[in-house]
Amino acid sequence: MEIDNGVEEEEEEVFGFSRNYFLAKELGGSGKKSASKLSDIDLVDEQELRAAASDIEPKHEKEVVALVNSYRSLFPKWVFDLRCGFGLLMYGFGSKKALIEDFASTSLTEYSVFVINGYLQSINIKQVAISLAEVLWDQLKTKRATSSGNLPKVEQPFSSRSMDDLLAFLNGSDAQDKDCFICLAIHNIDGPGLRDSETQQYLGQIAACSCIRVVASIDHVNAPLLWDKKMVHTQFNWFWYHVPTFAPYRVEGMFSPLILAHGNTTQSAKTAAIVLQSLTPNAQSVFRVLAEYQLAHPDEEGMPINSLYTICRERFLVSSQVTLNSHLTEFKDHELVKTKRHSDGQDCLHIPLLTEALEKLLVEIRQ
Amino acid sequence: MALASAATDSPIQTTSETNENNLQTFFVLHKASSRKSEKRSTGTGKTRRRIDLSPSSPRKRVKSEAERAEEWDELRYEHLRMEAFELVWSRIDSTIKDVLRGINTNVLNEIHCWVCESFNAIKSFGTLGFAEATTSFPIVADATCKRLFTGIILTKNMEFVDDLLTFEELGLSLRSHGCHVANLSSMDFSAKNGIGGCLRGLLRQFLTTTLDAADISILASWYREQDNHDTPVVVIIDDMERCCGSVLSDFILMLSEWVVKIPIIVLMGVATTLDAPRNILPSNVLQCLRPSKFILGSPAERMDAVVEAVLVKQCSGFSVGHKVAVFLRNYFLNQDGTLTSFIRALKIACAQHFSMEPLSFILGDLLVEEKQKGEKSGLLPEIILKQASQLPSCVRNQIADQTSKSLVHGFSELKRLQKCWSSVVLCLYEAGKCNKIQLLDLLCEALDPDLYISRASNNHVELDKDFGLGMASDRCMRRKYSTLQKSGVICQITRKVRDLPAVMLYQLLKSWESITVDILEIHEKLKELQSVLRCEDGNLKQNVDDISKRHSSWNSLNIEKDSKAINEKAATLLDCLVRDYLRPIECIPLHEIVCFKNVEKLQLALIGDPRRRIQVDLLEFYKILQCSCCSKSGNVLLPSMHDTSVMYTLAQEHGDLINLHDWFQSFKTVVLQPSTKGKHKPKQSPLSKKRKYKYESENKSEASIQARFCRAVTELQITGLLRMPSRRRPDCVQRVAFGL
Repeated sequence: MEIDNGVEEEEEEVFGFSRNYFLAKELGGSGKKSASKLSDIDLVDEQELRAAASDIEPKHEKEVVALVNSYRSLFPKWVFDLRCGFGLLMYGFGSKKALIEDFASTSLTEYSVFVINGYLQSINIKQVAISLAEVLWDQLKTKRATSSGNLPKVEQPFSSRSMDDLLAFLNGSDAQDKDCFICLAIHNIDGPGLRDSETQQYLGQIAACSCIRVVASIDHVNAPLLWDKKMVHTQFNWFWYHVPTFAPYRVEGMFSPLILAHGNTTQSAKTAAIVLQSLTPNAQSVFRVLAEYQLAHPDEEGMPINSLYTICRERFLVSSQVTLNSHLTEFKDHELVKTKRHSDGQDCLHIPLLTEALEKLLVEIRQ
Repeated sequence: MALASAATDSPIQTTSETNENNLQTFFVLHKASSRKSEKRSTGTGKTRRRIDLSPSSPRKRVKSEAERAEEWDELRYEHLRMEAFELVWSRIDSTIKDVLRGINTNVLNEIHCWVCESFNAIKSFGTLGFAEATTSFPIVADATCKRLFTGIILTKNMEFVDDLLTFEELGLSLRSHGCHVANLSSMDFSAKNGIGGCLRGLLRQFLTTTLDAADISILASWYREQDNHDTPVVVIIDDMERCCGSVLSDFILMLSEWVVKIPIIVLMGVATTLDAPRNILPSNVLQCLRPSKFILGSPAERMDAVVEAVLVKQCSGFSVGHKVAVFLRNYFLNQDGTLTSFIRALKIACAQHFSMEPLSFILGDLLVEEKQKGEKSGLLPEIILKQASQLPSCVRNQIADQTSKSLVHGFSELKRLQKCWSSVVLCLYEAGKCNKIQLLDLLCEALDPDLYISRASNNHVELDKDFGLGMASDRCMRRKYSTLQKSGVICQITRKVRDLPAVMLYQLLKSWESITVDILEIHEKLKELQSVLRCEDGNLKQNVDDISKRHSSWNSLNIEKDSKAINEKAATLLDCLVRDYLRPIECIPLHEIVCFKNVEKLQLALIGDPRRRIQVDLLEFYKILQCSCCSKSGNVLLPSMHDTSVMYTLAQEHGDLINLHDWFQSFKTVVLQPSTKGKHKPKQSPLSKKRKYKYESENKSEASIQARFCRAVTELQITGLLRMPSRRRPDCVQRVAFGL
């Protein structure tokens, strides 16, 4: 019957999936693996590439606009679902940032709208909660002012409260109008700044608050793996919407390096050179020692700290471990150097650049 | 990589549309406009009225601004539907909570008794003075006093999410009995926060303030300060198996040191087995526990109870169609298996219904009416009546007259038929209980309109005009469904009734009697049967209670024969009930107003499938964009196609690693639309073979093609379909998804 059909289909799906996987593996393994190098392409200059990237001629502009406009007719339904207590989750190919903000500024005017840009690298969830609480507080104040009620005094500024207190405040235990909520729009809830499980837990707790409704977008195909059943069913309470826009991921992708931008060689070498040139000559020399070691021993995992120290002392570059450490801290802050645990247990330093890039870099700082 | 991105100007900053906000991690888009919210509040105020809209609507029509009025009307109906949803869902929600509470009542009471006993036992160790009880010294030396009363609650459910509510209820019920209760979750016992985290959580809940210095002695002094420190302190840990073992051990050891000073009793939920603590806690900690066990109801039991209350007894008037029911069942069985997800699916169905069906607000009014009986339904505006009469189910039944009277009649008829239906389903369920029939399976069959039709036609009962089926298709269907029917749940149940022992049959009839007490016509038939039962065998009636004890009595043979006949009669009655009264909601006029049928919408909203759908978006983008240029191409890639789509389609031809150089070359070939097909490898031949489409090659400089390639790679990376080159293989990217 229907169940059997379902199971069969599922099995077929699983089978198809594994078959595809092995076919792909085979294709990669047995067939002559293409040995063409990226450097065989006649790559244009970085600057030119970036200029070209910023002005790519859009395709199907008319259709994309029509598509996005067709979603506008769904806005009333989205508001309805939001008010029913669901969180809206938008997915499908294409940037949904403009769509969500358009929705928020046309259909959610009677609610405060708070936006989180999840595509950015580092997001402080505590700060988000504090600002949310402030917005809610403002909203309550204006509301009470019109209805001449008194709010309890804030005994403590939000910025010094604990996360639990903030969540409790957002959860508004005092029986409030259930239509008084803040809409939290989260672009790329699966973005790099929000991807860790602790942040997702907090987002879930925030989403579960009575004064918060969430509209979020995901772009990663595996985004649902971020959430367990408790989060999905009781906290976020997602209502899925498939809204592909085919709009370019302009903002979302702005921090991703261009893959043809000599990403591993010129580019990083150039930026590293800029950083190094701002440091003291001694620091540059320490870096050079490390770089030369790495070039001389390309197969090793890195240079042990104590051998670096020995060489630097011999050359009178540093006087003590402390000075060396201060240099190293500087390097690490600029991601010029990374520490690795060597297989025999000691810490090793290495420069996260390819050989060619490192050579270029050495040439540049010698000038 | 980070190095590169940090130091370069991102391209977006150079474009004009760059917005300050895009680079802020968070910002306020806008504040709530008070003007509108006032409007909203007056709006809802107005809609709070019942559906006596007719006086106002003619006036509106007089106002020549018909369009604006219509819009306003729509808005108002939307409010009405919203209200109806809230009403209906709150009814369903509270019903579910009641049902679940009902299932747990016995266990909750048991736990409360145990808590009281444990508390008394702790008190019997003696009482301490204030100073003694609030400091950590002297340490209690007596090992028996140091043992912590621990209730281990077996949830019998691997999915913990279903039990969150249970533990909340447990906390509330103990609190209502005067205990101090704190609910902790496994999140409080994380290795990161350590013992301080759970202690802080504990203090937070008891003292209702946050303290920076978490110390158990604070709890001790708080307990002493209470007016009546004659109550136990209960700590509930809902999912003990997910706690960090070392933190939980520390916590238990600490509590056991203080148990004489603060009478703490611990309740822990375990999902797998009662042995679970042994796997997590070391033996010295286990020695500190004095465990007792409690067992909650099984998930299947809860599921049946919820389905019975919500979908069979229809506490709210809202119901679902056959396909939706089948989907819900399959979703429960195949996908998630939790009651919580089932309830959520139901809520989405409910919300979808009220947001899509224009007339659904009437359901809210029907509910309100039920409360204030006597006052009959308000007048509906004509436009609504017209809409209602145009519902497919009404058209089929040729209910043409558009008076509100006929509509009211239609609703009461709907209600009556639904009631009959639910009674028969309950009767069947009652009969199927000993056969371990799941209510959800039964429900799916009982809601199937096709089965109903085939039943009706098999028995040559006069067919309703409802089904405009031709004879041929009718016969074909009959054949198809008669086999289905025989293997169906209902048939199984009828067969079972035939073989039921007399005692059980008697009990079954009793239960049927109480189920059908409100429905006269069924009740009478039942009474008839019962009276037959009495007439035919007086002994049976008298001795029915102890008949099972009498294994061999003088008339056992006689009884057997007679009871067989009675069994047959009961089965016939059941058959007759099924035939006459088991009329699925979808076969009743006006059902569109109360019944949700759109299973596709429900599925889309409930189960997002980004992995598959995002790939389909890319591979079949022309279906979504509906552009004229790309849709006719078949499998051939055209330069007019979306870059990322072209790239992803090309990627399908690679193995798990994609050589960037090759990929770029094939992309370039597609984009440039050249006549040079020699560059292509033979396996890519379909791409290059028949390219008739001419595309003007204007300023497609190398740079722009490379830039487009870069952007497409970035976009694929954002969607997670691609992994960037590793240091080991700088010339290859890795494919992540294989197949849809």
